[in-house]
Amino acid sequence: MTNTIKFVLLLLGLSFTWVSLSGERGPVIPQGKGEVCVADTDFMRRNHMDLLVHQGDDTVIRGLREGPFSMADCVDCHVRHDDQGKPIRIDAEGEFCSTCHEYVAVSIDCFTCHAAVPDAKEPGSAHNNDHESDKNHRHRLAEQP
Amino acid sequence: MNSTVRYIAFKPRNVSYYCVILLCLLTMISGGYCAYMMEVSGHIITGMNNHVAWGLPHVFAVGLIVTASGVLNGATCASVLGMEVYKPVARLSVVLASSTLLGGLTVLVLDLGRPDRLLLAFTHHNFGSIFTWNIFLYTGLLLICVVYLWMMMEKRFNRQVTTIGLAALVWRIVLTSGTGAIFGLLTGKNIIDTALMAMLFVVLSLVLGTAALVLVTILLKHWQSTQVDDELQKAFNRMQLLFLLVLGIFSIVYHLINVYARQDLYVPLFTLTGGLTTMFSVVYVLTGLLVPLGITLYLLKKPGGIYKQIASSIMSLTGGFLLLYIVIIGSQNQAKILFPGKTVLASRFGDGGFPAYVPSVWEWGVGLGGVAFSFFIFLLLIRVFALIPESQPSTVSKLI
Amino acid sequence: MSDLAPDPVSCMDADFEHNTKANAARRRFLQRIGVMGVSALTASSLPMNVSRGGSLLAADIGSSAASDEPVSGVSSERRWGLLIDTSKCSAGCDACVRGCHEEHGIGVSGNDHTDAQWIRKIDLEDNDSGETMSLPVMCQHCETAPCVDVCPTGASFKRADGVVLVNKHTCIGCRYCMLACPYKARSYIHEPVTDQLSRAPRGKGTVESCTLCVHRIDDGQNLQPACAVACRKDAHSAIVFGDLNNPDSEISKSIREHDAKQVRADLQLNTAVRYTGL
Ligand code: SF4
Ligand code: SF4
Repeated sequence: MTNTIKFVLLLLGLSFTWVSLSGERGPVIPQGKGEVCVADTDFMRRNHMDLLVHQGDDTVIRGLREGPFSMADCVDCHVRHDDQGKPIRIDAEGEFCSTCHEYVAVSIDCFTCHAAVPDAKEPGSAHNNDHESDKNHRHRLAEQP
Repeated sequence: MNSTVRYIAFKPRNVSYYCVILLCLLTMISGGYCAYMMEVSGHIITGMNNHVAWGLPHVFAVGLIVTASGVLNGATCASVLGMEVYKPVARLSVVLASSTLLGGLTVLVLDLGRPDRLLLAFTHHNFGSIFTWNIFLYTGLLLICVVYLWMMMEKRFNRQVTTIGLAALVWRIVLTSGTGAIFGLLTGKNIIDTALMAMLFVVLSLVLGTAALVLVTILLKHWQSTQVDDELQKAFNRMQLLFLLVLGIFSIVYHLINVYARQDLYVPLFTLTGGLTTMFSVVYVLTGLLVPLGITLYLLKKPGGIYKQIASSIMSLTGGFLLLYIVIIGSQNQAKILFPGKTVLASRFGDGGFPAYVPSVWEWGVGLGGVAFSFFIFLLLIRVFALIPESQPSTVSKLI
Repeated sequence: MSDLAPDPVSCMDADFEHNTKANAARRRFLQRIGVMGVSALTASSLPMNVSRGGSLLAADIGSSAASDEPVSGVSSERRWGLLIDTSKCSAGCDACVRGCHEEHGIGVSGNDHTDAQWIRKIDLEDNDSGETMSLPVMCQHCETAPCVDVCPTGASFKRADGVVLVNKHTCIGCRYCMLACPYKARSYIHEPVTDQLSRAPRGKGTVESCTLCVHRIDDGQNLQPACAVACRKDAHSAIVFGDLNNPDSEISKSIREHDAKQVRADLQLNTAVRYTGL
């Protein structure tokens, strides 16, 4: 009996190893606007949650809204638009936040409260056309050193 | 009576036993579904609103927690006050208390707007809040119960049982007063309100707890003969009579003070705030106080009426929960007076009055699910551990 | 693009360091469990992660050439408040309410008892004189705020400048603050919200109330709250916003001049919202 269990576990372990060696190399994340993020991509990847929490405390408790790591700015840069030019929620499937979060199976607790699309432009201001290039910029997480 | 009691695991084979287990499971599942629906759709599907922010789930949660504290009184009598007659049910009372407490806490958490942030309540506290203290009092009592039970079951610790029993006694009095203080400490209430509310909760917990213990011991005996004899039921009856009397006195004092002594903007206990609360006030006085009082008095003279005892316990339990409904819902169910001396002509937010709160089926589901959860855990624990006093041929007497 | 460049200084304080370190430790712990439980394969990546967790501040943000610029933000030197002139407020007008809703992206479903009620209009009649009046009631931003006292997690808090807020990051939705507030100024979000504005995050399961338009205050351009702006646009100018701590501010002067009152002054909460003609 115990031998059978051990054998099954071994099989499972092997298949896991095989999958992790051969399969997916990470999620494909849509790229944001501009050339660089507010900090190194690598740094952001590991620390964006702490930065956001910190900025959140600063904003809510200390009234400091000028920090570089504001949620609204994240959304502004990383949101993509559909064919009609309407912004797609940043936490929608396949969009910037959810691609990674789904991959690592971490739920996002931001957008039940925070706006997941940029505020609608005030009437009169020029229409935002940046989204045209969005679809062409994709890069692989795993390819980054 | 023999002071050494032998304990066994409770494994009856009655059909009704399995039926109750099945019923518990079904109620738990539907309770879970209700909680899930409340989580997904938000509290919009409940009867609660911005006036009555604490609804039926709170009544159940507070009721279960307060009952838990009262149930522990059985163990207190045995191990602290050294009353031999309660010895057989000492363990049982601790187990029932822990499971009831767990059920109450579950309901409390499931009714939060963000139950997923439960851990946050333990990492961020504001010790100025009585609510924070209660969070620690509740979890603390659970811990004490576990230690208590362990010491009772472990021979070498038997001497320390009195000490932990005393700790449990103090702890649960603080806990019930603290729970009462949640409702007594609100702005505009004064020190008398707070103290009275705290004491009311302590007495209420004793009434609820004793009633629950009586019902459970009778039910267990019905399923499998246990060493729960007439003496114990008589003792329970005497205790309940005393507690009911004190509860009655407190209810009246609280009411009178608020109606006559302090004609302010806050509500007396049996306020007529419309809807169920009004009806409950009347029903509480009748079924929660007068009738059980009558029955316990009668049983004092002519003991042994098992069905009368069941009836009076069920009524005390129902009455106690009604009283909680009155205290919790009644205080929210009317407009707060912002402008004394002025009449509200118009307001979009019911400043002149608003429709009475009516609990929804989802809230009933969560509340009853919590009760079922408590009882299920209890049955499970006594099945696994040796907690039920084994019947001894010499002391068994016919109850039913 | 240049305005998006990182500002290395502002995130270097002790708090952040603490947060990051705590989280790094947590991740390290979780990683170890993962490593032990699943496969030794992943272990090769562990040392790298750990060393990064430790040195990330120096390496990635760059050591701070700390500037001595004063940090802006809330200061206890001010205490913001509102003064409402009931003689200028008119029954039937709800411009302030609409202004508030627009500013914070609050939708109205039609159920007055479950909808957000940050600000409401009340029409009153005096029992003795029969005189009628109309006024808005919002969170009174109490100095000794009951809602702050009772909140188990400290989510309900008072900013240094006297504005009482709910920190929705830590609110567990227990609703005790709603029971505690004598003005019924707090609303619970009963339904999922989807079309928030980025200046006013709000979501199901938490409690909210008038923020005195903190996002406008923090803007530092002497902006008035949305209700006051809407009231002035409607030609009533019944709401004045200002600093109660400054004896020379317009609001302080008017309060002295007109002997403005607090709602339910008997509760001794020292509210920051005052009313004249009450
Ligand atoms: S009015 Fe109510 S919500 Fe506002 S600070 Fe006072 S107690 Fe808190
Ligand atoms: S609902 Fe939120 S803000 Fe209010 S008391 Fe509870 S945790 Fe605090």
